[in-house]
Amino acid sequence: MRKLLGILIFICSAPSFAEFTDNLRWSVDASARINKNIGAQNTSRLYALGLDTHKVFTSSNGDLGYAVGQLYFTKLSNQAPFPFMFDSKDDSKFIVREAHINYTAGSKWMPDVRLGHFTLPFGLEESIATNGRLLDYHHGKNLGTKLDWGIGLSKVLNKFEYRLSYTLGGKDDPKSINNSYLVTGRIGSHNHHDFIIGFSFLSGKLDDIERNRIALDWQYYWGTWGVLGELALGQDNKQQHWQSEKYNLIELNKVSNNGQFKLYSQYIYQDFEQADAANQLINVGISYQINTQLEFSMASRRTVKTPPSGKNQNLLRLQLRYRY
Amino acid sequence: MKVLIIISLLLLCTQNVLAEAYCSLRDPTAQIQQLFPDKTTQLSIVKAVDNSTRMHVQRELPRNDLHFSELGKHTLYVAMNNDKALGFVHVRSEQSKWGLVEIIWAIDTDLTIKSFAFQRCRSPKKKLIDNADFKSVFIGKSFAELKTLLNDDGVTANNTLLSKAKEAPDLANVVLRCALKTLLITDVLWGEELKKFQ
Repeated sequence: MRKLLGILIFICSAPSFAEFTDNLRWSVDASARINKNIGAQNTSRLYALGLDTHKVFTSSNGDLGYAVGQLYFTKLSNQAPFPFMFDSKDDSKFIVREAHINYTAGSKWMPDVRLGHFTLPFGLEESIATNGRLLDYHHGKNLGTKLDWGIGLSKVLNKFEYRLSYTLGGKDDPKSINNSYLVTGRIGSHNHHDFIIGFSFLSGKLDDIERNRIALDWQYYWGTWGVLGELALGQDNKQQHWQSEKYNLIELNKVSNNGQFKLYSQYIYQDFEQADAANQLINVGISYQINTQLEFSMASRRTVKTPPSGKNQNLLRLQLRYRY
Repeated sequence: MKVLIIISLLLLCTQNVLAEAYCSLRDPTAQIQQLFPDKTTQLSIVKAVDNSTRMHVQRELPRNDLHFSELGKHTLYVAMNNDKALGFVHVRSEQSKWGLVEIIWAIDTDLTIKSFAFQRCRSPKKKLIDNADFKSVFIGKSFAELKTLLNDDGVTANNTLLSKAKEAPDLANVVLRCALKTLLITDVLWGEELKKFQ
């Protein structure tokens, strides 16, 4: 609550409203999601209403940097299992998604500096932001968290770009918990090319588990078709026992000529530390931009092969999202 | 109390902005550097493309429209060498049969085309026109001069441009329409503010 009041005071105390709104993007972002777990005969819902903001700070000679702030009031309904930041399956909370400031006014060789709560720079998620969408690259499941508080360095150079981060491992809390930390990075070709390739790594301790990962991700686009892949390998040390971890995704996607309709299908092989994780999945999803503000999306997830101790997944998810 | 805070936040935000999640916004840093190698910094100026801009385009360029993703806030970059403006950079999308084509336009301070680069173009024929010979038709031209390259139908290019387009006339038409809309919108929305750099 104190954080929210702080934001209000900060906004109201800006030198002038006109100055504050210069180079400011904002959007009210509302979504309603229904998850139907056909196997478990369970239906859950997730509602989110928030503000998505982006502000560029400039001097008379150039940009100094920018800030991103995403604050969402999120309500769960019968969501089991519920995400770590909630206390029950029907809980509701204010959730900070991305919230960071970025200094970009350094010299040609000096990296840009990011401070705050941001998506870990790793794999496909680094170049394809999926926040608020049904499309997902299992960032959180593979790394232990999708976002974390910390500092990052990045630069777009002539032939390639990189992003490195040191974060505290507190996930939604800006602090280190039991010596948690994460060092993450990705180096890759420019993400506007038809063929994009990247190499990522992660090392650290999160939720009392030491984690190491390396990954190769790639994207190839031809016409309105795209083929994407990510292969991540690593180890988790849980209670003095190192266990190998694997995650492999292949996606085929198609976009209509006007960009309104998107279709994707994914094959995922995963072998995580959770014994009940299904290890081969198929995801199929569509999204349709009804108008400039309203988007409908639907995704289905089915288990292809499950380990003996695992659970079959047969999920259907629907989402309506409105951005004003 | 929570509801009051949400309402207060919403009341502070009373303008209509349409876009994808802002965490995915990226400046085209590499391409700006390629188009303006002497650039030391870039200055962003964000403006809203709205329905009145769209109607302006329809009036000046009959049979043309803006793609729905072109509505909302857009950034124009001023490429700076210390305190001197080298030119402007404006990214715009145009629909094609290979999906959206995104082109980064480098514009001189007198609002003529300086050069351009493809940000996203999934046409297999891109390499046929991504060369100096084709670009030379655009370089140095203003909106009015570029408009003379349009046929009477308002959407296709005439032979002056198509003679340089080899086997890629459809893509050449897309690039021309994009150039025209870019110069027009730059002038309509940013023109007043850009005068201090001219």
